[in-house]
Amino acid sequence: MALLTAHKRVLHADLQGDRIRAASGSMVAFEGNVDFKSSGMGGGGGMRAALKRAVAGESLSLMDCAGHGRVYLALDAMDVLVVDLAGDTLTVESEHILAHTEQLRLDVQFAGLRGMTSGHGLATTTVTGHGQVAIVSEGPVMALEVAPGADLVVDPDAYVGSRGQLSMNLVSGVSWKSLVGEDAGEPFSLRFTGSGLVLVQSAER
Amino acid sequence: MTYPPGNPYGQPQGNPYGGQQGNPYGQPYGQPQPHGGQPQPYGQPQPPYGQPQPGYGQPPPGYGQPPPYSGQPAPGGQPSWQPSTLNPHTLPDDDNVNPYVFCIALTGGEWFMSKGAMLAYYGDVRFDAVTEYSSVQAWVASRFSSPVYISDWVVAQGHGKLLIGDRGFDLNSYDLDDGNLTIKASNLCAFSKQLELKQSIVPGFVTLIGTGKFIASSNGPVIFVEPPFRADPDALLGWADCPSPSVHHDAQWMTQNLRGMISGALGRASGEERQYDFTGQGTILLQSSEVAREDPAVLRLVESQTQLLTNSQAGSLGQRLIARAQQQ
Repeated sequence: MALLTAHKRVLHADLQGDRIRAASGSMVAFEGNVDFKSSGMGGGGGMRAALKRAVAGESLSLMDCAGHGRVYLALDAMDVLVVDLAGDTLTVESEHILAHTEQLRLDVQFAGLRGMTSGHGLATTTVTGHGQVAIVSEGPVMALEVAPGADLVVDPDAYVGSRGQLSMNLVSGVSWKSLVGEDAGEPFSLRFTGSGLVLVQSAER
Repeated sequence: MTYPPGNPYGQPQGNPYGGQQGNPYGQPYGQPQPHGGQPQPYGQPQPPYGQPQPGYGQPPPGYGQPPPYSGQPAPGGQPSWQPSTLNPHTLPDDDNVNPYVFCIALTGGEWFMSKGAMLAYYGDVRFDAVTEYSSVQAWVASRFSSPVYISDWVVAQGHGKLLIGDRGFDLNSYDLDDGNLTIKASNLCAFSKQLELKQSIVPGFVTLIGTGKFIASSNGPVIFVEPPFRADPDALLGWADCPSPSVHHDAQWMTQNLRGMISGALGRASGEERQYDFTGQGTILLQSSEVAREDPAVLRLVESQTQLLTNSQAGSLGQRLIARAQQQ
């Protein structure tokens, strides 16, 4: 089975006759016998997900890497983190997906108003199944724990993804008067409640 | 800060043997001298031992040796999950989470914060525009006396843990103890309310005065240097204690390079020939990068200074600006 390992800003993908999907153009080098081909309408999940993605404006362009050998993948010198999934779901902004193993299913989830604040489209991507997904971030990712009584508020531009039983609402951190008065600083933020982990990067997009 | 040991020349009066090369008493060579962080007095000869210049790369006391960060995960976690799981209890109080993220522990107090520096927070935190807040709390106006920058800042108050970051740059916290430090405004992320902010004479810089903590970003680690020194304006992060710099134009560069000369005569700066010249005693902070962020306040600052122009001068400036915009 394909194995993804993060080495700071480079992802090593060891292929043993199987296949991974990686962000188009992210291959920097490879050893062995590996074929690369565009996986067509985008991030997997079939025609329906592709259609939803087109409607939502969630852009994700992936390629298939198949064969024997090691592929080195990187994106804009961003930090790489590998997440192991065992049947659970990771919600992640599509532009942060670097690669995933082929057993995982990608789908689009409509996120409501959030997209309006950060200009990232109305949708976010969910990754489900058994396997590994590699995500990239500006600076190392922090995993912030959310528990009952410990709600977390995140800047939409620093939000990378989340995992667990979480619900997300839009909050305005600035009083209404200062919003009207002038261009306010942190106009909208995301409030997470429930229990789970929220991934936050150290830079705003 | 301890100076490099064995420098008896800086304090001749305290050492009757200071002028001697031989040292029959086994004394003061090899002993650190208690300079107390004061730079070498002006005009004194440098230590003749071929030692590195004192102060290079060593932050003076009080100005923020970046504290060693804690809370970083053990490297054993790779490659599986567990980057660094943090919750309100494991987040540090007023310390770096990693080199790029700082955690402010809010306990009912207020912090001034640059707009957009907030990454995330736990707890009950409110953000108010500084102008709005100063109408409620009169002290704010006296602390934040810079109308050009006021709209880029908010007041954060409440209870909780507040995580701030800036473009993934390195974040350092600095403790001022009844001092003053001038820093590039676009690199200042937050400061405690005990500090007073004033606009520096040098465009794009602000001065913090008083006793308290502030957090500033740098692209790469901060480099500490002592005057006399000339710095590239883009790499300059700030300075402490020494007088504001004067602008130095490198005459050699301008005469050697015909293009530089022409643009110099036209008042256009092509870059390297223009430097900031520091004199006096103090510390200069540099970053190892010349990438500057567009600072909206600089536009406001320059615009307010066009009041100095007559109408015809303003007209010709406008034409030049239009020509420049069309070139790009």
